[in-house]
Amino acid sequence: MEIKHMKARTLVTVSVALLLAGLAGCSKSANDGAGKPGASPAQTAAQPGTGTKLGDLTQFRAIANDVSALVDKGDLAAAKTRIKDLEVAWDSAEAGLKPRDVADWHTLDEAIDKALAALRADKPNQADCKAAMAYLLQIFDALRNKA
Amino acid sequence: MQAQTRSRSNVWLNKVPEVTLSFWIIKIMSTTVGETGADFLAVDVGWGQGITCTVIFGLLAAALSTQLRTRRYTPWIYWLTVVLISIVGTQITDLLTDGLKVSLFVSTAIFAVALAAIFFVWHWIERTLSIREIVTRRRELFYWSAVLCTFALGTAAGDLATEALGLGFAWGVVWFGLMIALVFVVWRLRGHAVAAFWIAYILTRPFGAALGDHVTQARMYGGLGMGAMWTSALFLSVIVLLVTAAQLGMRTSHPAQSLD
Repeated sequence: MEIKHMKARTLVTVSVALLLAGLAGCSKSANDGAGKPGASPAQTAAQPGTGTKLGDLTQFRAIANDVSALVDKGDLAAAKTRIKDLEVAWDSAEAGLKPRDVADWHTLDEAIDKALAALRADKPNQADCKAAMAYLLQIFDALRNKA
Repeated sequence: MQAQTRSRSNVWLNKVPEVTLSFWIIKIMSTTVGETGADFLAVDVGWGQGITCTVIFGLLAAALSTQLRTRRYTPWIYWLTVVLISIVGTQITDLLTDGLKVSLFVSTAIFAVALAAIFFVWHWIERTLSIREIVTRRRELFYWSAVLCTFALGTAAGDLATEALGLGFAWGVVWFGLMIALVFVVWRLRGHAVAAFWIAYILTRPFGAALGDHVTQARMYGGLGMGAMWTSALFLSVIVLLVTAAQLGMRTSHPAQSLD
């Protein structure tokens, strides 16, 4: 009984390990599921103009641009909603981006934090938001020029 | 299993599981689930760090007090406690790093010293660090303090490897995996079993985080692009499967233990 049970448990463990190994292998050839436009996002980092030491940051900059435009229009509520997309995207890419250049990552991370803080203030003020967004966009450009 | 089949009426039976392959798979995966779960609540759900911390801490208090009140190892309570401790350990380090701006060199050193102190006091009072005889309240409290500390230390040391060495998750899986393999080999060559267990316990934290990142991160960053939600769901199902197997195994293989 005991031995039979141990066997069953080993079997479960081994099959789980195999399942995971298979899954890791399969998903390599499957589509990345992220729904990215453009055929080869991995190569864009090498193109001049879009690359930074952190790689291609255009998707983040595009959101920042949207936020900035909304702030300029004076629609701070919509800007606050839109900047959450930046927060989520930036946060989920941390493990991929940070090791590429820790210092640059922190510079940009702090700029994003400042923008988030300005838009999420109890009484957000357009001038502060504008300044924070201008600073953020400037950091994006500085990183691109640096590379 | 020896510790559990020994009959000890009126005394606790060993409160923690036997260390098997299944133990390590659950332990490694609970790291990923803990981390992505806490992130999901804080960012995607939008609770922020403060509320997330409070909720997780409340859940941990409930799980730990249930775990402390049981008389023997009960898989689902034990592993629920581990997952929650994994989150809290990670949050303690994140709070020190992001909130209080403590350098990772400093926090890694502090947690290492704290863990050494826990082991020192544990050994000084109990004359053993054996994890096969967690049979008293005091020993169990030592055990869980050590576990919390290993998660905080593992987080700090893993983050330090990224910050100071620029170690990405791909190499993280390789390096931490190799270190774990080394500990395994030393243990097989009759190295100190308790020391090997706790070193592996620390190393599996950054290893689990790197593995989780590898599955989660987008393919443009060299990951498998599965996303945090699906990865958590997958790992959580594996954990549930293995813990259920362990829970059912408890019932069938030790029917005589309902005596106490």
